[in-house]
Amino acid sequence: MSTSADNQMRDLLDAITARLQRGEAIDPPVARSDDAQDELEEFVEVVGALHASLKPLSPNQEFAEDLRAELLDGRAGFFRRSRRMPARLSLAAILALFAGCVLLLLRRVFGSETAHDVPEEVVATPL
Amino acid sequence: MKFLFSKRIDFTELDDKDLVALAKENKAAFGELYERYLPKIYSYVYYRTGNVHDAEDLTAKVFFRALSHIDNFVEKGAPFQAWLYRIAHNLVANWHRDRSRRKIIALDDYVADSLKSEAPDRLTEESEERNQLLEAVRRLPEDRQQLLLLKFVEQMSNAEIGTIMGRTEGAIKSLYHRTLLALREDMNQMPPGELNRRQGGEEG
Repeated sequence: MSTSADNQMRDLLDAITARLQRGEAIDPPVARSDDAQDELEEFVEVVGALHASLKPLSPNQEFAEDLRAELLDGRAGFFRRSRRMPARLSLAAILALFAGCVLLLLRRVFGSETAHDVPEEVVATPL
Repeated sequence: MKFLFSKRIDFTELDDKDLVALAKENKAAFGELYERYLPKIYSYVYYRTGNVHDAEDLTAKVFFRALSHIDNFVEKGAPFQAWLYRIAHNLVANWHRDRSRRKIIALDDYVADSLKSEAPDRLTEESEERNQLLEAVRRLPEDRQQLLLLKFVEQMSNAEIGTIMGRTEGAIKSLYHRTLLALREDMNQMPPGELNRRQGGEEG
């Protein structure tokens, strides 16, 4: 493609993108030749896909509030503190917490029976 | 003199230049800059990293760095916004460098995985085509990714993008044309259903 055709394509693409950004409909653009027209239509498809896919995002509200507090007041919230931990450490902490809860639960359920069993065995053992 | 009465100032009515001047002495003014730019910087970093965890981590680093260096910031052509994006760009570039050094899985697979599992709520129902497109965008060189994000996500003009990237408007237009060419070629090379095949392979 010649430089002037390149420039024409460059300007057309820029204009199409600007119209999309303004929320305006895109009329079928016209290029100088059939080849260029085919190419332009492919480009318009890519630009349309980019426009539809790349949208602004909002961060998690809790993250935003915690980070603000940490920046302005110097205090880190639970959310930020926990996010700072490496993934492996977070996983280990969750597993330890879960194991602790299970252990406590087991003690509550079976703890009383064990307490009764022990004295009986002690009594039955000949001295 | 007005700094002495800064508690009475409605920060939302001030422009960035005044806020930056105030923020050197008053953290509440920095808070307003934070509110203005948090979603923009977060979006930028999210699309560059592809996962929420690193996007939050790097976004926090951007604002901490901005806060600690705001005393030295002098507006010489590039406004506060451009300065903030440059900090974000540098931190993301370092993040990619660190990752490539201790890479265990392929970046493309990682991006596909993280998009599947960690994308924000509004992105959970991403179409296959959208995933393919985002993967293709992330395969582009850094400057081209930056251009696309500033143009489409931040809806910036060529002049604004030029200020952030340190290039002329004409150079931005040319870079945009070359970026679309590369993106079109990349997407044409990817066979239809490629993502399905990858995801099927991972699951099976």
